[in-house]
Amino acid sequence: MTFGLACCAIEMMATAMARFDIDRFGAGIFRATPRQSDLMIVAGTVTKKMAPTVVTLYEQMPSPKWVIALGNCAISGGPFVFEGQYNLVEGVDLLIPVDVYVPGCPPRPEGLLEGLMKIEEKITGKRRFPVPDKRW
Amino acid sequence: MVEIEELKRLFPRAEIAEIPYEERGYHLSIAVEKGDIPDVADTFAKKGCYLFDLFCVDYLDFLELVYFFNNHSAPYRIKVTTKLDPEQPTAPSISRIFTIAHWYEREIHEFFGVFFEGHPNLTYLFLHEGIDFYPLRKKQVKVSEEDKKRLMPKPPGEEEDTFFINLGPQHPSTHGVLRVILKMDGEYILWAEPVLGYLHRMHEKMAENRTYQQFLPNPGRMDYMGALNFNLAHVKAVEKLCGIEVPERAEYVRTITCELNRIGSHLLWLGAFLADLGGLTPFLYVFDDREQVLDILEAVTGSRLTYSYFRFGGLYNDVDGEFIEKTKRFIERLRGRFDMYNRLITGNVIFINRVKGVGIMDEALIRRYGSSGPVIRSTGLPYDIRKKEPYAAYRDIDFEIPTGVNGDNMDRYMIRLKEMEISLNIIEEAINRLPDGPYRAEKLPKKLKPPKGDLLSTVESPRGELGVYIVSDETEIPYRMRWRVPSYSNLMTFPELARGCLIADAIAILGSYDIVVPEIDR
Repeated sequence: MTFGLACCAIEMMATAMARFDIDRFGAGIFRATPRQSDLMIVAGTVTKKMAPTVVTLYEQMPSPKWVIALGNCAISGGPFVFEGQYNLVEGVDLLIPVDVYVPGCPPRPEGLLEGLMKIEEKITGKRRFPVPDKRW
Repeated sequence: MVEIEELKRLFPRAEIAEIPYEERGYHLSIAVEKGDIPDVADTFAKKGCYLFDLFCVDYLDFLELVYFFNNHSAPYRIKVTTKLDPEQPTAPSISRIFTIAHWYEREIHEFFGVFFEGHPNLTYLFLHEGIDFYPLRKKQVKVSEEDKKRLMPKPPGEEEDTFFINLGPQHPSTHGVLRVILKMDGEYILWAEPVLGYLHRMHEKMAENRTYQQFLPNPGRMDYMGALNFNLAHVKAVEKLCGIEVPERAEYVRTITCELNRIGSHLLWLGAFLADLGGLTPFLYVFDDREQVLDILEAVTGSRLTYSYFRFGGLYNDVDGEFIEKTKRFIERLRGRFDMYNRLITGNVIFINRVKGVGIMDEALIRRYGSSGPVIRSTGLPYDIRKKEPYAAYRDIDFEIPTGVNGDNMDRYMIRLKEMEISLNIIEEAINRLPDGPYRAEKLPKKLKPPKGDLLSTVESPRGELGVYIVSDETEIPYRMRWRVPSYSNLMTFPELARGCLIADAIAILGSYDIVVPEIDR
């Protein structure tokens, strides 16, 4: 589902476009509606005002469904956590179950692709591509 | 033109002082009683000024409302201030004179608890019911019961033949999490109202919690499309405040990278705008070009999107020959691509019919809203901060400002396309003149403790006029940092332009602003 919230959404778009080409993995069809989606990529900061909408959208998706938390904000609140903050959900996993976390601020498109591989691994139980070189 | 003598005659009770522009970024400061505010605003409105910004600063003993006025012909920034009682802050509303004040006043109301007399609608704009104090007050002040009632959104009543549509917060053509409530009569829009704050990340509050250096990564996350321009606005403001000299090489590199960033931003806008209109093909082409920009910038800044490359007094690191070489190659490449874009988009009959004559703006509307950037240049106003109040290396470089005639979506499209070409010229010129020398000022203080005072610094971001206002109290932490963002005043013209439009045209208008929501929400 195209669920662009903030900066990470631009990297999500970049992943879908010419250079990184998410279509190679058969995952390129971004839908604008939750009813036709089975994977929700939460790309960006979730604020308290946005939280009810995120939950509604998740619940509107037909099962089976998976969630990727893209970027530090969706994982833990990222750089916007400070003493006295009043408008941030510190991690989208406080609202909905998350399957794969992709860190970065914002994560590189390669990171999102690797996140997709992980989801695939989680669903099928085996990995389609060899594990990338650990040195990097 | 505003004359001091005349102002003194009109407002005998006001304290009027001329301010050294080079040091503080504005020309004139006027302190008035709060009762005089509507008269002052009226005077400036008649003189053809626009309301640049309106915000509040909490000085504990009193609240200060700050109004910034400016005009489009020759920059003359006027700061009007008035003091309010912190216990029961009230002020007269000027939303009838400057329409944009309607939104600024709503913002001040929920963040500071200032009640604006005569304001039609003081409901939540950024915040929501869960927050029961005024976030930007220095001491925690609880929201009173009376205020709470005022803040609760009023449910719109249904009438016969009309219905309401929620555009967003999750909608692919709102470019982020913007929500617009539309009252519809069939396919036509009767009334529209933006609801903000779905991405309010508390940047202004954060600024009051950390040092100037620690705030460096934040501006890039406010407007991730023009991150370097925002970064520059912050760095420039603090440099001016502390009196740090910047080496010439750094100024040139700043110009080059900012322009590259502007091209990247405009390219993405081009794709997104066309996608809003239903043409998905250009998206793939612009991303191809944009990746080239990102490669160049990544090599020097170390990041693809949320850059934080400039430091107080210079840059994070120097550019090398490879950067120059790559940039030159990119200039060649993109110049060759414009022809293709013109064939692909500009000449397309469907595209022309969708955008021509839709979303027409005029100068009077722009003055009431204080819009800026390509949006106002489409009406024929050659207003560009890079030219009017030059900063970095723009003062040495000659370039033209493209303007439109009709002020419609087509003009806004043409201007952005032309601006990319001009940015290429600027980059080429700056590379040719790039001087040798240090890239960072020497002997910088470890801890920045700027002298007491306030300062305004403006930059032309890809979306328009960006302003940073800093109040310093001689500590390492800014007392107040206010960000005046261009998308905010641009977006607020939407309800007026969308009235009577088809919903598909309204999407086209929204797309033509090039809004970035995190920048509006801050």
